[in-house]
Amino acid sequence: MSSRHAPRILAIDAGGTMTDTFVIDEKGAFVVGKAQTTPDDEAQGFLSSSRDALSYWDTTVEEAFPSLVTGIYSGTSMLNRLLERKGRKVGVIVSKGMEDYFRLERGVQSYLGYSYSDRLHVCTHQHNEPLVPRHLVRGVPERIDVFGDAAIPLDEEAAARAVEELLDLGVEAICVNFLFSYRNPAHELQMKDIAEEVLERKGSEVPVTISSDHYSVRGDFPRLNTLTVEAFAAEPSRVHLRSIDSMVKEHGAHFDLRIMASHGGTISIESRELARTLVSGPIGGVIGAKWLCDHIGVENVFCTDIGGTSFDLAIITGGEYDVKTYPDMARTLFAIPLVEMDSVGEGTGSFVRINPTSCRIEIGPDSAGYRIGTSWPQGNIDTVTINDCDVVLGLINPDYFLGGDITLDREEALKSVQDQVAAPLGIDVYRAASGVVELFEDGLKNNVLSRIMGKGYAPVNYTLLSYGGGGPLHVGGIAEGMGFERVLVPAWAAGFSAFGCSCSEFEYRFNASLDLPVAPDISQDEKEGLVEMVNGQCAFLREKIVEEFSKSGVDEGEIVFRIFVRMQYMGQLRDLEVRTGFEWLDGPESLDEVIRDFEDLYAKVYALSARSPELGHLITQVVLSGTVEVEKPALPLEELYGDGPPTDASKGQRDVYWRGDWLKAGIWEMDRLKPGNRIAGLSIVESPATTLVIPPGWSAYLDEHWIFHLEPGKGV
Amino acid sequence: MVSDFLPKCTGPLEAGYEPAGWDGATLREMLEASEKLTEETGCYYGVSELALKETDPIRYEKIFSKLRGGLVNARETAMNVSASPIVQEIGELCFALYTPEGDSVALSTGIIVHVHTMSDAIKFMVRNDYEINPRIRRGDIFSNNIPKIGDVHNADVQTFVPIFWEDELVGWAGGVTHVTDIGASTPGNVPVGPITSYEDGLDLTANKIGECDTVFRDHEIRCELGVRTPMFWKLDERCRIAGCHMVRDAVERTIREEGIETYKQFIREAIEDGRRTFIQRVKELLIPGRYFAPTFNMLLFAGERGLPEYAAVDTMSQAPVEMVIGPAGEFHISFDGANRWGYHSFNCPPSAMQGAIWVLLTQTMIPNDKVNDGAYFATSSNFPPYTISNATAKEAATGAAWGYLIPAFTGLIRNISRGVFARGYVEEVLSSYAMTMNALQGGGKDQYGNDTGLLSFELSCVGGGARGIADGLDYGAAMWNPEGDMGDCEVWELIMPLLYLGRGVKPSTAGPGKYRGGSGFQSVYAIWKTVDLVMQNAGDSGCFPSPGIFGGYPSASGYRHNVLGTDLLDRFRKHRAYPSREDDPADSEITACCDGEHLFDRRTMNYPYRMKHGDIYYSWYRGGGGLGDPLEREPDRIEADLDGDYLLPRYAASVYGAVAECDPEGFWRVDPDATARRRREIREMRARRAVPVSEYLASEKARVLEGRIAKETRRMYNESLELSTWWREWFLEFWGLPDDFRFEEGGE
Repeated sequence: MSSRHAPRILAIDAGGTMTDTFVIDEKGAFVVGKAQTTPDDEAQGFLSSSRDALSYWDTTVEEAFPSLVTGIYSGTSMLNRLLERKGRKVGVIVSKGMEDYFRLERGVQSYLGYSYSDRLHVCTHQHNEPLVPRHLVRGVPERIDVFGDAAIPLDEEAAARAVEELLDLGVEAICVNFLFSYRNPAHELQMKDIAEEVLERKGSEVPVTISSDHYSVRGDFPRLNTLTVEAFAAEPSRVHLRSIDSMVKEHGAHFDLRIMASHGGTISIESRELARTLVSGPIGGVIGAKWLCDHIGVENVFCTDIGGTSFDLAIITGGEYDVKTYPDMARTLFAIPLVEMDSVGEGTGSFVRINPTSCRIEIGPDSAGYRIGTSWPQGNIDTVTINDCDVVLGLINPDYFLGGDITLDREEALKSVQDQVAAPLGIDVYRAASGVVELFEDGLKNNVLSRIMGKGYAPVNYTLLSYGGGGPLHVGGIAEGMGFERVLVPAWAAGFSAFGCSCSEFEYRFNASLDLPVAPDISQDEKEGLVEMVNGQCAFLREKIVEEFSKSGVDEGEIVFRIFVRMQYMGQLRDLEVRTGFEWLDGPESLDEVIRDFEDLYAKVYALSARSPELGHLITQVVLSGTVEVEKPALPLEELYGDGPPTDASKGQRDVYWRGDWLKAGIWEMDRLKPGNRIAGLSIVESPATTLVIPPGWSAYLDEHWIFHLEPGKGV
Repeated sequence: MVSDFLPKCTGPLEAGYEPAGWDGATLREMLEASEKLTEETGCYYGVSELALKETDPIRYEKIFSKLRGGLVNARETAMNVSASPIVQEIGELCFALYTPEGDSVALSTGIIVHVHTMSDAIKFMVRNDYEINPRIRRGDIFSNNIPKIGDVHNADVQTFVPIFWEDELVGWAGGVTHVTDIGASTPGNVPVGPITSYEDGLDLTANKIGECDTVFRDHEIRCELGVRTPMFWKLDERCRIAGCHMVRDAVERTIREEGIETYKQFIREAIEDGRRTFIQRVKELLIPGRYFAPTFNMLLFAGERGLPEYAAVDTMSQAPVEMVIGPAGEFHISFDGANRWGYHSFNCPPSAMQGAIWVLLTQTMIPNDKVNDGAYFATSSNFPPYTISNATAKEAATGAAWGYLIPAFTGLIRNISRGVFARGYVEEVLSSYAMTMNALQGGGKDQYGNDTGLLSFELSCVGGGARGIADGLDYGAAMWNPEGDMGDCEVWELIMPLLYLGRGVKPSTAGPGKYRGGSGFQSVYAIWKTVDLVMQNAGDSGCFPSPGIFGGYPSASGYRHNVLGTDLLDRFRKHRAYPSREDDPADSEITACCDGEHLFDRRTMNYPYRMKHGDIYYSWYRGGGGLGDPLEREPDRIEADLDGDYLLPRYAASVYGAVAECDPEGFWRVDPDATARRRREIREMRARRAVPVSEYLASEKARVLEGRIAKETRRMYNESLELSTWWREWFLEFWGLPDDFRFEEGGE
């Protein structure tokens, strides 16, 4: 092998326009590659991007792939299939009378994903094109009620007829979703038997899926959406994934490609619930943050990812991130777990406008995205963006954006900020640009603060971790005055999300609704009964997990199981997830422990005064996680040099307008800095992929893991 | 009416009392000074220059975003504490920050109805010298739900927490949630049944309910005994208090960072800024002039069992909505000519009217996050006393004020639409939104044997008005909340003793037009596993409260179809057909597939009556008004309407003039040529039927003089003639009637 690096892990994030590759060797050294995404044959983009990355180590795909032990993939093709409504022809069978699910879309989907202003502005609301057209939906007389009792028996003739009709219409898959099937799957199972008889009679091999078998949770519409998207978009994606997997193997790889799933783990491409991978890329950063902090011994982390179009935030408390059970993606409600992450429509490409009515500054919600702003004439943008303000202020080097791949026009930025922002406000152009940036950072700050306060904590309890292309540029502004315990910026901030995917566990996470009441005055015997019911459900989920892992040749003995119990006060509708260390609940005491943990969690998340144990509790869902040890990246570890950076790291000085004053900023080349170096603010550390700004009065210490520590008041 | 302010307090409490206002003033003195300054200068609080905003626009924005961030955060976090689906699933809660005198500075997301209502309640406390008795101190908690004090309807329960900085009261945090049951004489949260305020339920008359951040035990007991769903009540109250405390934290943080003087300057400027922005917006969007759009609604209670004779009558309400736009951006709304308040729960005090105004303006003219009481100060209104639009009589019941507000304010939307259309903002034009009805309401025992009060918020998804460039939004929003959500059937069944037999599109609910209104939908339920339940319908019927615009037709008027003593359980057992929808009341599936006592009529407002396990309750949700002549509707849109069950085929022919055929696969084809011919015939028929306006008016005048109009209409007009000089003169002049004209009442 010609390269001195032995690549171990490959992580690929195929975004809408670019496919990013992250390759790590056994020492934690890494390279990042990029290539255009190829939607028609994702394998091509995958290959080109891998080649680009490996070229930095003077090696090739053919040479490097055989040494890889793990490959993780995350992409947007399934999401695009959903957005563009380009999927399989799916037939749907529901409880009679409910045939209009996709048209009604609970009303709520008509404004999902809108900005606050548009959510108010009712004449802008629009329904989505139904996922399945009305004529491919059939209702069958039947009803299971809230107690799980068969209120109306299944009409077998109507059931058979529905299947026949759908087959005659040429459907490629059939999904069945009956009301309260999560309470009692009897009718869905009966329906499946009938469908299989019809299929056999007609010699058809159309797959039939039932909701109780896949997503057995309360919420008829999100459950139906999830089941349908599985058949509509996920199954076609599996074909693509298999082609990528075989391409990788043809190039000498010895591992099975895994995909990033929304719950934060990776799963096999042969997993039966592939819709769980619908959204994966953006959560990579959160997983990476958790991994990083586990390694450097930090428990509470606030993750901030500033990109071109959005600001994504997530919070890790006590080493755990939160999981949402009914997220929405692509204006569609789902019933799958998603790592809790908020996205605010403000990024470095966000447009800046002065409202002509109120003469007040407005940032976003729309953005120039990859087209940067007015400072990049080729982007054909005529509205000022945050990037333009950063250029005006001297924070961004117009000749070193993306390592000099594109050149920005500072004069153009000055002119547009003057005309569009400074003049209407009647202030100086630099004051205007600086004000906009402060306001932008303040908005982000408020968002950070509200999430932390909402958890009942203060910033001093948290480490702020900043990544994404725009993160290091604005982290100082966000951290100023907040009093975070620590502020960390990894040197590989720009590729952090792809890196994060490589840090995830090989994990299946299944949940099932239980809705078990736990009255406040319950006896030990009754508790014993409840524990048995929870364990019963766990046994069912455990079987599913074992079956999934077996597709990757993993034995049950290798799997580590953990029960999470989701509960709420009786009568409430929002539950919290109590994560136990148990594999099974053991006796009434274990239930008591779960309830105690719930009470503590509730007081933290909401307010102590809002605790209401007198109402009793409801166990809504049981969640079982099964993980298997896989290779993860090694944290870079380098020898520490002294405080002073090597002379060749300095790129001289630049005038920067900072909060009302012109200051001389030291300019540094990131790649030439050495671990152990400390840089005093005001300084700007530049690298091809990102720019780190160190505010005056702050310093940045580069540690042995290539992580910058931003610290107030520590000059050199 | 609620006493306009008790004499100044004297008594032992006064001893040792220190004013909580600024610079040693009392709050009442501050309020009076504020009103005087505003009155004299025309600017809020006499702020003629936005000094902070102009000298440091960036800092100004930063302070605003800090305060508003605190409000939004309070709402998001507190929402999770509440239990009721109204709050959690529908998001019916809102937090706001007020000046010491009670003017709103900033609001959270949520029900923006309350831009001004909580303001009235704070002012009530200030005017009544609560400062002296019962005292306003750090850590106190107050609560109100009385519309005559400041609220929309009694089920919107408000909590207030004063915010202090050193010894001065620097603001109020206010929070409101829509509660599940308010303990009225009939169950639910928009109780249709109370006929006087004494039956409206729990009264929180701007009471002090806690001190030292702790709720008084006696208050908790009172509420527990006073409402049907005490558990929801308790959690909702905790949710409001937790949120108010978070707002207080955000304000204290802001003051620490910005300084108290800057904060004080900011809250004044922010309101004046809001006032100026609203005026500017009016100038941009509307053409000065008078806009007039009356709306009518029927209340059919005649013979209703359970009501006394004087309340068991059919009446009609009138909302003569006039909007006057002045050349300098003045915005005035008048209800002069509205009929008298009555013995029902739909009466509206001024606060309720303000609620409706602001919820609609924030959906149309000012859909942004910066709205505050400045906008209120930029407008004026005239709600004449003794009318249903200003029902301050002490005995007037207000528990279901929405029953008047919803129909009444379609007039405001049509007025605004004409204004924006005249300015050229065609895409902003909306016809009348749909009535958020039927309200499925009831109470008794739920399926677990617990006491319950029911109201399905499925009704938050009715049809929108037809748009200037497209059909109205189908089943997606409510007049009082643009973010509609039907909720999952499984969630409703978890908390209500009901079994869904179907939920789907309801054909021909939308008003026809070149662009039709948004469609409504329908739900059929079996009453399920309850041993004791009363139910009621609350909806419109008998007239068209969602009229069309620019030649569009109104949406369908309401009816009821419930079935008692059914054979449903037998049908289930024997695999016989059962109803899951009622697409066409003239060919009813409910009639065909269910035996029993069919309550199939136009009585869409009922006093609650008993329903049993296996009975059928039918709830259909209304459509929005149409826009433009239906004969101009493109044939392919009609085809889509037929295929999608948005339109009953017989109306394709009669209303749209479409010649349509259904193919063997069940898809419709509209023949464009034959349709063009049919439409020509219809236009010719219209021309043949037309008479000169003078002739038409003469014949109508004869009807007026002879009283050949419905008895409810005659009664309503007589009330308007009596209560409004302006309306009376206008009406008499229009029809050329004698000065002493009055309709004969009675008869049919």
